[in-house]
Order: sequence, then C-alpha cells, then structure tokens
Amino acid sequence: MKILVPTKRVPDTDQKIVATADGTRVAVDHIPYVINPFDAIALEEAVRIGERLGESVEVVAVGIGGEGYEQQLRTALATGAHRAVHVVCGQTLDPWNVARLLRAIVEWERPQLVLMGKQAVDDDASQTGQFLAALLDWPQATFASRLELQGERIRVERETDHGIETLNLPLPAVVTTDLRLNEPRYASLAAIMKAKKKPLDLIDAEKLGVTIDPRIEVLRYRSAETQRRCERVRSVDELIERLRNQVGAIV
Amino acid sequence: MTENQAADVIIIGGGVAGLSTAMQLAGRGASVLILERERLGNGSTGRAAGLLGQLRGNAEHTRMLIDGVAIVKELERAAGVEIFVQTGSLRIAETPERAAEIASLVKMGKSIGFEIDHMPIGEVAERMPYMRTDDLVDACYCPTDGHLQPAELAGAYIKVGRERGVRYQTNTPVIDILIEAGRVRGVKTANGDYHAPVVVNAGGPWSYLNAELAETVLPTAAIGHYYLTTRPDLAHPVDRFSPAVRDRELRIYTRPESGGLIVGIYDAEPDLHDMRKLPPDFDMSRMKAARDSIQVARLIDAAHQRFPWINERTAMTITTGIMTFSPDARPFCGQMPDIEGLFHCSGFSGHGIVQSPVIGLIMSELILDGKSSYDVKSIEADRYFDIPGYMERDDIEARCLAMAGNYYGKVERAQSVDSSSPSLVGRG
Repeated sequence: MKILVPTKRVPDTDQKIVATADGTRVAVDHIPYVINPFDAIALEEAVRIGERLGESVEVVAVGIGGEGYEQQLRTALATGAHRAVHVVCGQTLDPWNVARLLRAIVEWERPQLVLMGKQAVDDDASQTGQFLAALLDWPQATFASRLELQGERIRVERETDHGIETLNLPLPAVVTTDLRLNEPRYASLAAIMKAKKKPLDLIDAEKLGVTIDPRIEVLRYRSAETQRRCERVRSVDELIERLRNQVGAIV
Repeated sequence: MTENQAADVIIIGGGVAGLSTAMQLAGRGASVLILERERLGNGSTGRAAGLLGQLRGNAEHTRMLIDGVAIVKELERAAGVEIFVQTGSLRIAETPERAAEIASLVKMGKSIGFEIDHMPIGEVAERMPYMRTDDLVDACYCPTDGHLQPAELAGAYIKVGRERGVRYQTNTPVIDILIEAGRVRGVKTANGDYHAPVVVNAGGPWSYLNAELAETVLPTAAIGHYYLTTRPDLAHPVDRFSPAVRDRELRIYTRPESGGLIVGIYDAEPDLHDMRKLPPDFDMSRMKAARDSIQVARLIDAAHQRFPWINERTAMTITTGIMTFSPDARPFCGQMPDIEGLFHCSGFSGHGIVQSPVIGLIMSELILDGKSSYDVKSIEADRYFDIPGYMERDDIEARCLAMAGNYYGKVERAQSVDSSSPSLVGRG
C-alpha cells in the first residue's frame, strides 16, 4: 500500500510575523520554516500505519515549491517518510493549482490513500484536500481525528460541532487530518542517519503538463492590531473601578 | 534630561542576574533602573531548568550556593511563593572512573560537614522505579539539594525589588554605552539617554555585544541548550519530590516537573549562536527545535539510555534556549580595569538561576563597597583581560564551545578543600 502525504512549507506561525510596510508580502526573512503542523500530523499517521502494517506500506512525502523546500522534505524523511518528491515550482500557487499539481502526482504515483493536513497554518484556506478529491473523483473525509484501515476501506472519525461523526470510505481516498489525531515524533539519531540515504526525487512542475492559472490574487497583507497597553493598578478596587468606568467590561 | 532618566545604577538586562543585583542594591538604598530589551525574565531565565547542586569542587563556591539557599528562603517569605523545591539530588556512576569521581566528591563534602553520602543501588532503584539502575556501580545522594523554580524566583526578585523602589523599563534595548574620559556615564536607548555612574552588564547571551558597545571584550559565547519535559504518564509516574539526577557519563541531568520528567543534556557538540545575527525583536521563548534536530536526537538518545520508556515518540515538549558560557564555566562578576563604573555580571554557563541569589549580594557589595565578603577571585570580571587567546571573538567562541562540550564529559576529581587553586569539580 502506498500513502501519499502532501506537505506544505510554511513560516513557523509561533514566531512574530508581520506584513511588510508596503503590504505586498509577509516579512519572513528571519522566520524559520517548518512543515505545516497539520501535514506533520498526516505524515505521523502515515508512518504509524506503516509501523503497524509492516513493509508493504510505502509513505511518500510530496512538496511543491522552490529550492528551500528540500530542508522540510529531509525532515519528512527523518521523521519516517520512505521517500520524497519535490515538485520544483517557482510560481505563486493557490489551493486550486496545488490540487491540480497534486492530481498529476497522484496519477503518476497511484497511491491508495492521500493523507494531508486539513489546512495550512499560513493561509488557513482549507481547500486543497477537497479540491484534490473532487479532481480525482475520490471519496474524501476531512478533519479526521481518528482513522483505521479496514482492508480495502478506511474508517474515519471526525470532530463536528455536534459530536464525533464516523465515516467509512472505500479506497483510494483523500483524508485530511485534524489536530487531535496524533502527536508527531522527533527524529531519532538512527532515523536522521537513515534519511540521508533515502531518495528525494525532483520533478519540474512544467513537466507535469499543468498550466498554472491562479484563480486567487492576493491584493494586500496587513498586520493585525496587537499593540496592547499595560498599566499597573494599585489595588483591586481600582481595577474594578477602571474595568467598570473606563473599559466597560463590568456593568 | 528628566529625573526618571537618571539613577545610581543602571542594569542592562532583566534576567535573574540583573533582577537579583537590583533587588540587593535597592535594599541598601541605591536607586536602580533596569533596562530590558524585551520582557523581564524572558531570556535564558525563562528557559532554565534551575537545578541546584550545592556541593562544588571549590569550597568558596559551595559556601556561595549554600548562602544562596538562605537568601531564597527569605525571598519565599517576602514574596509568599515557593521557589526552592528540596527534592534531594543523586549522582550516579556507571563506570569505575565515574565511581571514583563520586567517591572523591563524597569525601570532600564530608570534610566540610556537608550532608552527602553513597546510596546503595538497590535503594536508588526503589526510590526511582522509572530509572534504569542495573548498569550502575555507585551513586551518592544529597538530601538538601533540589531545584529553584525560575519563574517564581524571577517574580520574587521583581516583587521585592519593586517594593524597594527598583524601576523596570521593558522593551528598551540599550544601543550604546556612554563613556567619557574612561568613566561610564550611562546608556543610550531609542527612548533617549539614561544616566548613571555605574552600569551593570547583565545581558546574558547579549553581554558580549554590550561589552563591544563599550569597546571592551567580554569572553563569553552564546551556546544552545536543549531539554525535554515529558507529559505525566500513568505508566511511569514521577513523584514531585523525586531527586534530581546527574548522569555525567550520559551528559544528562533530570528532575521532576509537573508529574513528568525534565531531561537536559550538556551536548558534546553544542551549537553556537551569533547574537548579532538574530533579529532585533528576537524572543527566546519562541525558539523551537526542528523535528530532525541532531541535538534533540542526541538528547532523546541519551535520555532513552537512562529512562528506557522515553523515546522519539514519547509525548513531550522540547525546550531550547541559549546559555552564556565562559571559557572556564565560571561567571564574570565585577568591574573591568579599563572603564570605571562598568561592571559585568554574566557568563553563568548554565547556572545563572542557582547562582543568582548570592551573585546579587556579591554584585551589590562590589558596587557599593568596592569589595565583597566572599572570595571572588575565581569569578573576577578581568581574569582573562588582555590575555592573548581571549580577546578575539573566534578564539573566545572556540574556548567556550570546548568548555561547554566537555562540561559533563570530562572525568574530574574534587580537590581537597585547602587547595588554593579553584577547581570546577562538582559542577552541574
């Protein structure tokens, strides 16, 4: 069984991230990049499936983007992927075009399961998995918090506002992963050594026969207002008085 | 210049070193202003494990740490918080060389009346069922050791300091140190100049850059440090008062934390940080190790050897931060010969939390009296001054890296207490 795990390279959103003064981009020069945390969860789940089912499972991590991507794919290899595919693409992509490129990869690789994050933490679009399933005409289960392979089918639990919804899908399928599915591992020393010998294939995006036609244009980035002013109050009474009369937080 | 921008002493850096010094100075009536580049206690202080091992190879250092505990106990009363958690501490040995190290430490401790003794391996196993003990050849136990809770300690310094009139100015990086005719006059910030006849450089990993602002050299380097904290695990419960453990052979230390276990490493090949290259708004609390970091992998590997239930899949948090190492792993505390009024208080080499209580006292004595009631020879700020090999950044970093890399690795023997040469044994 082959599991394909698309991973997006994103700036670490735990860092202070602001828009540039002209609003054309996010100032990320000093920000370290990571595998999108939801994709890391998808990868961890794929690796665990492999650990349960043994050598018949192959986990393939995919990344689409420029040169910097290799580092994140090496991380994916060190944390359990068997091989990685880097689709080299210098163009700006939106979810629709990422899904189209992924469809080409899926048609080439023929996995039984595509496991990917429910969204990327940089743009929070939450569209790529759904687009991909539609393009492939595969069943999809989104926001998985638990999954279990059952022969030619997969059982997926997903968290909804009303409780846990359980789906049962035939394979091949696209499943997107939620936060509570698992906790990704760190790489062991042995895994880091082994990763150096694992294959990382480069594919030029142009050779996939996909013409990139962005449907979404980003007009402007603006930083959220986070300037907080702090003042020291002298007593609880003063705090209550200020909350009531200045802030209006207490009536 | 407004009155607010003048003080008797300006301290650069709001970590435990600066906060403790400020509190002690203010206690003796000095007006003190702390200028912190970011938030108080958010640099190395906020990333520390806080292990307190009082017995050092050097008797004076041992006295300093024992006195530090007394200061902490006073602070606990004054601030109404628990800072010192007296868990006791264990040293374990898995080789004859390490056993000899322990034997000499016990002998030295007993010679100065310090409470320490060998502990049978069976008893170690009984007390710490979550630790592998079948490969141990000896262990020693000190019941009065433990750890200081860094956040509570910093909070107590701030609280008592504020009551004594210390002023804290956060988000205020110092961009220059003002010097006239060989005398310090104050500092420059984006908010304007601040004036004082005494400036204390307590900038932790940034200290060497502060020294460069004053056109002098401080031989410290910024060294990465890593520890893991496991989540509470019902299969491997860790009692809140389980002893701290130092396993120098594996280069790890450990202590209980919120039902889980902290395991930290003094890595053989630590990573070096160039503080100048970090972004201006760098926030140490946001530092994160990559999932395939080689340092984290070595940490987990070493932790696994002592605690076989910990592996790369264990639910845990990895904490990474920056330590300020000196070439001999001892801090620089005091005035430099080339600039009057400029004091350094930095280079704690992973021991800033536990040394800070007494260092604050020593710094206040050095600043206000010109001398200390402690023998400060081994921590004098100018002990490498003008010595070739300790003036260029490359040389300094190579020496500090070597010291950090050897920190737990090297086998050492405690020297007898009457020896005049300071030894580093018992560190950690």
